Amino acid sequence: MVGRRWSVLLLVGALAAASVMGAAAAPAFRFDRNIKVGVVDTYSGPPAVFGNDALNGFRLALQEINRDGVHGARIEFVTRDEKFSPEIGLSMARELVLQERVDVLVGTINSATALAISAFAREQRVPFIVWISKSEAITGAKGHRYVFSTGENTAMAGKALAEAMARRGYTRFWLAAEDYEYGHAITNSFWRFMKRARPESTLVGQTWWRTGEPDLVPYLTQILQARPQAVFFGTGGAGMANVMRTMQVIGFAQRIPSAIHTAIDVTVLRPLGAAAPEGVFGTTDYLYYYPETPANRKFVQDFQAAYGSPPGFPAFHGYITGYFIAEAYRKARSLDRDRFVEALEGLRVRTPMGEVEMRGCDHQAVLPIIFGVTRRDPRFPHLVAGDPTILPGRDVMPTCEDIRRARERAQ
Amino acid sequence: MDAAAVLGQLVVGLSRAMILFIVSAGLTLILGVLRVPNVFHGSLYMLGAFVAWTVAEAVGSHPAGLWLALAAAPLVTAAVGLVLERLLLSRLYHREHLMLILFTFGVMLVLNDVVKLLWGPTYRSLVPPPSLQGAVTVLGVALPKFNLVLLVAGPLVGLSLWLFTHRTRAGRIARAAATDRDMVAVLGVDVSRVFGMAFGLGCFLAGLGGALVAPTTSITLGMDHSLLIDSFLIVIVGGLGNLWGALAGSLLFGITQSVGLLVWPQFAVAFPYAVTAAVLLVRPTGLLRSAW
Repeated sequence: MVGRRWSVLLLVGALAAASVMGAAAAPAFRFDRNIKVGVVDTYSGPPAVFGNDALNGFRLALQEINRDGVHGARIEFVTRDEKFSPEIGLSMARELVLQERVDVLVGTINSATALAISAFAREQRVPFIVWISKSEAITGAKGHRYVFSTGENTAMAGKALAEAMARRGYTRFWLAAEDYEYGHAITNSFWRFMKRARPESTLVGQTWWRTGEPDLVPYLTQILQARPQAVFFGTGGAGMANVMRTMQVIGFAQRIPSAIHTAIDVTVLRPLGAAAPEGVFGTTDYLYYYPETPANRKFVQDFQAAYGSPPGFPAFHGYITGYFIAEAYRKARSLDRDRFVEALEGLRVRTPMGEVEMRGCDHQAVLPIIFGVTRRDPRFPHLVAGDPTILPGRDVMPTCEDIRRARERAQ
Repeated sequence: MDAAAVLGQLVVGLSRAMILFIVSAGLTLILGVLRVPNVFHGSLYMLGAFVAWTVAEAVGSHPAGLWLALAAAPLVTAAVGLVLERLLLSRLYHREHLMLILFTFGVMLVLNDVVKLLWGPTYRSLVPPPSLQGAVTVLGVALPKFNLVLLVAGPLVGLSLWLFTHRTRAGRIARAAATDRDMVAVLGVDVSRVFGMAFGLGCFLAGLGGALVAPTTSITLGMDHSLLIDSFLIVIVGGLGNLWGALAGSLLFGITQSVGLLVWPQFAVAFPYAVTAAVLLVRPTGLLRSAW
């Protein structure tokens, strides 16, 4: 019975091979517990639309990541509602770190909350990843070892828009903005870069209105009468919708070229529907329909299947935040907070918008900025970005030297 | 600054003033007749805007949708107001003002959460029918066509209110009750019914204001905040409980803002408040005679 001896040998051989291969396939390193992320964001009131979108993107990333895990660990998360208040946000962050003992903090849509939590994260030496709020101070003047940003900021958007307006030859401007943190940050940034791109630029005038100002007709008619060459609007959220609606009704952008960060964004144009104006110059860092790369298409399909609507820019930020966290832990092979921070610095992650780097010097994700002009397109239920162009992140970000100087000045 | 520009901004300010007038007329009516500072007046305004949106959405693209919405929203808010007044507020009239404010403040919180439950946190847009879209050029200023509707609606509401208070029995009783409610009761009039009616009418006007702004702005949670503060200021400047005071205050508010933009655009936000403060320094009880 030669066959039988052979079969025993084969079996032994197969078992040996399997054990060797198994040893090779099994990670040499395993985390002894799961990774816990604490999410602080606004989940009530109008800004909740953005908070929920970011969380959905993050959740989708975690579903994909947790299929195989990170060195045997799953990434779990808990959420807290900051109700758009820096005080509540800060106490939520404190509770997440001290009671829930989260490894990483993530949030929030409110720039003021993000800055408050950032100061706390620095003092507690807890990594904090900012994913929606856009104040450039977060990774600029007030940046530090423990704070990161996975979203574009006012410096990047302001520079992208200023250079686009400079290329079109406009020099006489009106600045019109909503009187709050983001309104000031984005407007100052635009004007700083406008003066840099075209030093001869002059300010015809400026207007500031209250957040929640319901009727912008008097503001816009007055700007029309002042006849500047171009207008920059610094506004976001529901205020942004009011500006866009009023522009559409009185045909503002057809009379005076106008630029607004996020004007081409889906989160702005979709809820406006037919009330959205054509011909407004705008920027964003993510569009679900452009560029049509396989990576973006797959993300959009998966997101749509899971939540029933295409992702907005917060979902994109939430999604890449999940991957930055997973890849950093994979690289760090440690749950130590400082090892995580070091692993995240300079880390490159594949995203729906191509490979994105977490810049080491300021902890700002190097994200591309898309520039375009709002336009009707029969293939979409909302206005889209016409003639879109992608500006690489490194071209619109402040240099590491700029950041160093800004941080020195702040001290 | 040329004269045409000033005239243009005047027209724009006037249309804003009409919304402020409609809402603050309701507030001042309730203040005058019932002596209740109704803190949830702004919530009803917001509710009116959301109801108008829902009705217009349900009707779809038919141009009648907007008019139906303008009719339905104030009826809904009037009904909400009436139910609250009959069931709860009417039991509190003999209590001090602080209790009344606390009660209406509580209702405001509840109503705002109800709006959040029913419509969620996303903002809505009500697109007016094609005939009212776009703008017309009035005195060199691009005025949204819908603002013309406001310019007509404001005086119509004012006229109706005047006819009601001066030409109907119920209105006369309401005015009398505003001056001396005990005397009216002694004369054998059911004051409670008059109160309920006045309250319902006030709430109707809040909803009408909300429905009228719905096509011009983002319909969103929190849209009640600034309006509530502005209309209280208008009512105080105009003279508590005085309908014409509300009109004067609204005109003052809307026009100083829009014309202020021509004078000093950067600080135009402060103009209406600065004027309000100045008026109150000169006339602490308001422009016109207070009913209190």
